[in-house]
Amino acid sequence: MKLNYREDKGAVIIEPKGKIMGGPESTELHDLLHELIEKGKKNVVIDLGKVDWMNSTGLGLLISGLTTLRKAGGELKLANVTDKIQSLLTITKLITIFKSYDSVDEAVGSF
Amino acid sequence: MQKPKILPDGIVIPSSTEYLSTVDSYVEEALARAGIDESVIADIAISVSELVNNAIKHGNKADIAKTVEIRLSITTGELKITVLDQGNGFNINAVPDPIDDQNLMREVGRGIFIIKSFVDELNISRGPQGGTCVEIVKKR
Repeated sequence: MKLNYREDKGAVIIEPKGKIMGGPESTELHDLLHELIEKGKKNVVIDLGKVDWMNSTGLGLLISGLTTLRKAGGELKLANVTDKIQSLLTITKLITIFKSYDSVDEAVGSF
Repeated sequence: MQKPKILPDGIVIPSSTEYLSTVDSYVEEALARAGIDESVIADIAISVSELVNNAIKHGNKADIAKTVEIRLSITTGELKITVLDQGNGFNINAVPDPIDDQNLMREVGRGIFIIKSFVDELNISRGPQGGTCVEIVKKR
């Protein structure tokens, strides 16, 4: 997994790429979210358009991110969820927990 | 063991999540060579990543001196993958129901549930020299 992020209209857009499977790099997302909260940036969109797939560790990272941001008074939203990840969110019922949008612009506009 | 070892029908890795991507590349390439559908490859790759994570963390307790062995058997009728650790055994099913409403916000405990949704069989046994051996089977 590779992790880039940018800002737009007060929201931070995180753009992971590749596969999120629980390797040592998985902690980067967790660390980045804490870094953003410390900077007062609490509205985050995770753009999943370039994530090939994720396993339960990836889902756990998303839940951890959502919980962390909500505790800080912010929110985490998903954009460009691929069919494979949508299927995982449906199977695990996490589709009921996350707010997801067809595009990053829609997600950013929803805050 | 310092680095992964390729076998005729599999791969052995030291117990570190550092090698998850090595296992993934090995498995995905082997399945692609066998002409397996791309979507099935992703389902199996996700399942194997779950099993190897479990073997490293819960089986071998992240002891780098221990190994995880992954073996593949691809026939015209089915794909069979086994993941063997060198731990003292662990109860792979000892997690609360991940889709129960009160467990939805838990960060862990979905791996086996996800695998069962992707494969036709999941069999757990003790390895020949101890350790936990998990076999998954997907019909073709």
